[in-house]
Amino acid sequence: MSAPNAPAINTAGLGKRYGPAWALRDCSVSVPRGHVSALVGSNGAGKTTLLKILAGLSAPSTGTASVLGRVPGQTGEFLGSIGYLAQDVPLYKRLSANDHLGLGAHLNHRWDPGAARARLTALRIPADRPVSTLSGGQRAQVGLSLALAKRPQVLLLDEPVAALDPLARREFLASLTEAAADGDLSVIVSSHLLHDLERVCDHLILLAASRTQLCGDIDDILAAHRVLVGPRRDIDDAGRGLTVIKATQASRQTRLLVRLDGPVLDPSWAVTEVGLEDIVLAYMGEGGTLAAGPLTAIGPVR
Amino acid sequence: MNALVWRLHRNQAYVAGAALVALGVLLLITGIIMARDYHAFLASCAAARSCGQAGQLFAGDGAITTLVDATMAVPLLFGLFWGAPLLAREFEDGTHDLAWTQGVTRIRWLNHTILWPLLAAAGWGAALAALVSWWRGPQNAAGAPVRLATFTFDIQGIVPVAYTVFAVALGIAAGALLRRVLPAMAATFTVFTGLRFLIAEYARPHYLAPVSRSLPPFIGNAAPHGALVLSNATLGPDGRNYTAGLGFQQVPPACRGYGPQASGQQNSCLATHGFHTHILYQPASRFWAFQGIETGLFLVLAAALIAVAYRMILTRDA
Repeated sequence: MSAPNAPAINTAGLGKRYGPAWALRDCSVSVPRGHVSALVGSNGAGKTTLLKILAGLSAPSTGTASVLGRVPGQTGEFLGSIGYLAQDVPLYKRLSANDHLGLGAHLNHRWDPGAARARLTALRIPADRPVSTLSGGQRAQVGLSLALAKRPQVLLLDEPVAALDPLARREFLASLTEAAADGDLSVIVSSHLLHDLERVCDHLILLAASRTQLCGDIDDILAAHRVLVGPRRDIDDAGRGLTVIKATQASRQTRLLVRLDGPVLDPSWAVTEVGLEDIVLAYMGEGGTLAAGPLTAIGPVR
Repeated sequence: MNALVWRLHRNQAYVAGAALVALGVLLLITGIIMARDYHAFLASCAAARSCGQAGQLFAGDGAITTLVDATMAVPLLFGLFWGAPLLAREFEDGTHDLAWTQGVTRIRWLNHTILWPLLAAAGWGAALAALVSWWRGPQNAAGAPVRLATFTFDIQGIVPVAYTVFAVALGIAAGALLRRVLPAMAATFTVFTGLRFLIAEYARPHYLAPVSRSLPPFIGNAAPHGALVLSNATLGPDGRNYTAGLGFQQVPPACRGYGPQASGQQNSCLATHGFHTHILYQPASRFWAFQGIETGLFLVLAAALIAVAYRMILTRDA
């Protein structure tokens, strides 16, 4: 049953194992409704696995997941509430966009092809030609239109722009923003390139090393992280009382990317704001040492 | 939902339909000619007392007979080109992700996806079997070739329906299991041909206990007309097989001394000394019983394979 106040998605200790290897581990995230949430992480971090579990396509090995308070599974109620666009936008090659829209009408109780047709017309995508003759960007738009025609409450998109050229990418994200703007739609969109998503998303889920590292509003995340630069000192000493995400030592100075738990009191630090991309890269452990242990969630700064 | 299945598979349906129509036209023409010849022969043979030679009547129709025999492969073609790609293509193209995140549950999707191809395959198999059975009518009436024999049994009556359904079910299960079109086709081919051969060769002759008869020695083929002969041998009192003939030393002394002209008397003598022809056969009258048994067997196997496919689709991750 869908609880009216249930978060768009909620997972606790979610894990998925393929043989001996974990594709996703200890994933605990909660995303409130009405957000466009970026799911980022390096290749193999478990983004696709998480989305497949949320879409009811694969069953978790451990932990629980819920979408709008419902456990993903084979009920018409759950399936009707989600829209899912798989990686590489699978479509029936020989069918046209119109055929797909007709097909959706057979496969769904709630189906609204009007907006989809209008969007395809506006983008001048030929709706009567086999989709195999369309460009990658056009296919992605068809896929998005199909997912939206279900009138889902939660839309799950797996790397929808990864294979698109910059123009098609921009058009796709514009369509997505437009769709998210009207109505009660929550979107989770994954990418290994944060840059693509920063403009359209207001919420972030960061998966690194198959574990959730960060989940929160982008504004909150930005507000909660700072770069501290000061005279060179021992990192263990320097990090005392701070949650250090990444530390870099130069010959003369020490640079720390920290998560704030309160004001920085030590006056010898020069405190500067930091961009989302730097924060994400720091959590993904790119270069430098990842000093912090796994963080599961971040709430609003109090 | 049904429209979806039709849209995705209509090309295969068109191809199968066209092939069936072409074969139908060919068989219709030749079949009518054969029936005419047969009736003309029956009208004349009674007077000439040569009706026993009816079996040779169609010996000259080589190419068309080969074509009809080749319809034995039709169920396999359905398995390869309808069954195997049905689910495997979805997995290979990733479209199962699309289908399984629509509003209908996986089990409903699967019901519709496999039901129509299975029914269509059964219909096609039935149409083909009816056509071939009709075409074979004059030959069956003439009693040659034997109706229970491989190549004759397998293409008429009701078994082609069961083979076709089984082949498609096998392809579907292989596709659900292997998730790739070519491996699924390879598995379908191997399992179908292997199982069909094993059953036709080793199981079918024993569906019912064969009729066993003991006759005078060296009598030749003494099975009733149209029977499927399993064994036909002249055995000695010691149980050994003497079909190839007796050496002088093996002939009981009492039966020696008959010349080549008196082999009939010698055989009577041998019979009194325990030599006899032992013959095992399935009478032609069991044709429909065997058809029923084999149809049941393949339909049960098909049901088991469909159950496997359901299990795979409903329990495995996308």
